[in-house]
Amino acid sequence: MIQAKRKTGLIFFPAYDWEISPTHPERQERLLYTQDQVLEEGLLDIEGIKEFKAGVAREEDIHRAHFCIPDVNSRITPSHNISAGGCIESARLVLEGVVEKAFALVRPPGHHAMRVVHGARGFCNINIEAVMVEWIRKYYPHIKKIAIVDTDCHHGDGSQDVYWHDPNVLYISIHQDGRTLYPGSGFTDEFGGPGALGLTLNVPLPPKTSDQGFLHAIENLILPVLDEFKPDLVINSAGQDNHYSDPITHMAFTAGGYARLNELLDPDICVLEGGYSIEAALPYINTGIILALAGVDYSFVREPDLKPEALREEPGVMDYIKELCESILNAWHQRNELSLPNQPLVERKRRIYYDTDGISENQQETLRFCSDCPGVFKIDTQASTGYRALCVHVPHGACKACRRQGREWFDTVKGRYYAAYLQDMDNDVYLIDIQ
Amino acid sequence: MILGIDIGGTHTDAVCVKDNAIVATAKVITGENLVDSIIGAIQGLCVDYNLLKRVVLSTTLSTNSIIEKKYAATGMIVSAGPGVNPRNYFLSNDFHLIEGAIDHRGREYIPVRKDQILEVTKILKKNRMEGVGVIGKFSVRNPTHEKTIYSLIADRFHYVSMGHRMSGSLNFPRRLHTTYFNTAVMPIQERFVRSVKNALEALGITSNILFLKADGGTYSSSAADRLPVETILSGPAASMMGGIALKRNSGTTLLLDVGGTTTDIGILIDGVPVLEPRGVCVGGLKTLVRGLKMVSVGAGGDSQVHTSDGGLRVGPHRYGPPVCMGGPQPTPMDALCVLGEFEKGNLNEAEQSLTPLARQMNREIPELARAIVGELVKTIKDSCDDFIHEVNSCPVYTIHEMLHPDPVKPEQVMVIGGPAKTLKPYIEDMFQMKCRVPDHFQVANALGAALARTTAQITLLADTQIKKLICPELDVDMKIPAWYTLNDMISFGNQALKDNAPYLGLSDDIETDVIEQQSFNMVDGFNTTGKNLRAKIQSRPGIISGWREL
Repeated sequence: MIQAKRKTGLIFFPAYDWEISPTHPERQERLLYTQDQVLEEGLLDIEGIKEFKAGVAREEDIHRAHFCIPDVNSRITPSHNISAGGCIESARLVLEGVVEKAFALVRPPGHHAMRVVHGARGFCNINIEAVMVEWIRKYYPHIKKIAIVDTDCHHGDGSQDVYWHDPNVLYISIHQDGRTLYPGSGFTDEFGGPGALGLTLNVPLPPKTSDQGFLHAIENLILPVLDEFKPDLVINSAGQDNHYSDPITHMAFTAGGYARLNELLDPDICVLEGGYSIEAALPYINTGIILALAGVDYSFVREPDLKPEALREEPGVMDYIKELCESILNAWHQRNELSLPNQPLVERKRRIYYDTDGISENQQETLRFCSDCPGVFKIDTQASTGYRALCVHVPHGACKACRRQGREWFDTVKGRYYAAYLQDMDNDVYLIDIQ
Repeated sequence: MILGIDIGGTHTDAVCVKDNAIVATAKVITGENLVDSIIGAIQGLCVDYNLLKRVVLSTTLSTNSIIEKKYAATGMIVSAGPGVNPRNYFLSNDFHLIEGAIDHRGREYIPVRKDQILEVTKILKKNRMEGVGVIGKFSVRNPTHEKTIYSLIADRFHYVSMGHRMSGSLNFPRRLHTTYFNTAVMPIQERFVRSVKNALEALGITSNILFLKADGGTYSSSAADRLPVETILSGPAASMMGGIALKRNSGTTLLLDVGGTTTDIGILIDGVPVLEPRGVCVGGLKTLVRGLKMVSVGAGGDSQVHTSDGGLRVGPHRYGPPVCMGGPQPTPMDALCVLGEFEKGNLNEAEQSLTPLARQMNREIPELARAIVGELVKTIKDSCDDFIHEVNSCPVYTIHEMLHPDPVKPEQVMVIGGPAKTLKPYIEDMFQMKCRVPDHFQVANALGAALARTTAQITLLADTQIKKLICPELDVDMKIPAWYTLNDMISFGNQALKDNAPYLGLSDDIETDVIEQQSFNMVDGFNTTGKNLRAKIQSRPGIISGWREL
């Protein structure tokens, strides 16, 4: 008999009746072999590990994290409600104290979905972690500071976008260098908005980084940063495509490495993100993560074809990773010394491409840079779908002046917009004003 | 004519059924020698043995030998490969880990080594093992390793069982426990069947002998010789099947078997019992043995009545019979006696037993008695509610099931067991549901055994990329064409279940159900490379056709 050191909840939702297309990596079969492995290993019989049923995220849960243009129902399918609902359920289990750790093994994934959603990008429609985080903040307001550590091989540009201006959510992404992989972002100079400098951290690792390199970054960069940030809750966006066998990436991480990473990181909640080596990697990585979360010996978990000596980094690569981590840690320590904008309104213009749905979007974002609160911002967005919209986000803890500014932006919109949207976090209000 | 015999811990009950009627019943005290008890009960029936078509036995023999650890030392040869450390599941020093690894799709990564197997065989022989279980991780996806080991050791030991024959379901630790218990109880079952057969023959009974299983079905004694582990926990299954035989019921029914110490709770949907999907637990260990979904609550007629936090409580302990029957402490039966609903008991003793509690709680004795019965029924009701909640929170894996749930909602209660009749009004009041108490529930267990259908389940897995179909329970491993479909597999399975009826211990009048079916496209890169087809087919559990409620 095996006894888990920590009570661990598992939400398993493989969506056996949902796919992007029959041969797309994000398809019905994706978690089949993972389920086989988890069942055969008897993980659900371990004393202290229990499986729970997923939930269904409601429209208002999604409105807290996203502006879906034109509306939620036309941008997502029921599978997204359940995938996000599975995350919410795992958060509920942890926060109600039913379990100490939870793992939402759900699909479809979410970390490429940004605050404004015109369609699917990087296989993601809505950001399931962000929906969960906003649900947590709504129902468990004592949870003030949250850290999301994204260990998917792709830069989590969606999560970065949602929390870019948020000083209470630390977003750290460790991923394959954006010069060599989708979505082509996630460089060290992407460091957070002017009101949340340093609270977005990117660790772009060179291709072929293996266990040694990943664990070096965790131990020497991410853990010290978390120690200093002191989050009330740590979430691992547990993408599994850093694996050496993944068909669409070029890293050399192993199942044992993923388990060790989670043991070190000690997250409260893990959420599955990408990972498309569905036969050779996912079954073993997920087994390793579940055991590590529950505090059960995982040292015998490894891929049957593993040849560790073939995966080691070249010495030069390891030196590069060490230097990279050191420079990011230095930047983190000096984050409060960076020069801040000297004008009240800060603008940024972006072009966003939705590769999955083939949509292009132009955004112009205006932030009221505020010394009293995180600052209200508006996004003027126009997409090739034909929709143009004005989205106003009044953040948690917004000051009176920002609140007034947000309302004014929302009320005075005129012209060729489909609608104006207002997300007021403190009052949990979401308004749509169709023009 | 059919004989059903339930060998319980205290009594052995026999019932004889003919043409839709109970023609005779008998009850004897269960003695040391179970065969004597069986013969005693049969002789008590006074029926013509020449008319017997079959004899069905429900025994706790294997359950008890497992719980009391009264079985011979049994060896295990285990091949696990990477994963959770298999030594966590080793129950004795007679478990031996050997090399070998097979993955989830049944591909061999590390072969088993003949020299290592022979080495382990030597040790097992030296330690005088009679039985050896052979088990590999993912052996239900590819049984080659187990079969290789089997072929090397089969003639060296009396009893050998292989993991993949136990069940086609995935779960290595459960398969390991199941294989171990199966091997361990094989000699006990074999001796038992032999002596029962001899004793019955001495009476002139030569009909088929069947055994009741945990899933509420039966199988032939030859199948029971091979898979004795399936007979574990057949006791609760017997009462559940008895309940079904006694009263026809449609819709969703909660079945309560109220005993002295505990109440067993089960669910019937349209007369079919709900099964435990992963397998039942015995001797503190989880197995792959298919059994009824049941829960046992420590509250029955003889449970201790006490107070806690100022409130009245019933159970979970029992300290003997009710005071009104000479016991030491007040029980719900004493309360029923006070209320005039248990005439066998001594009213005076019952009233006296409740007096101190009545004084302490400042209540009249009849009022207290009603409160005690109410508390018993409430304790049972709370467990029923938790049980239903648990059944309904079972995870689902498709959007369709998530958005269109089909929750279990009981519409009526059926109660069997000693205090059933007297509890009926209290249960109706507390559950707010119609409550039915069948006649003859005293022989429910024996009747359930007599009338249960034969059951078995097979698992089918086809992989059209490697062009292979396997069915572990039947040891089928055959080539299929690349265009093989789910329908092809299901018709093959239905036929295989019928063709292998004697091997599986089934009678020839079975009806089959497909209880699970899935089809997945397998993709490599961006090309579909084949289909992964999965199905489980069973012979339908229930009461034999032609039987109408009494």
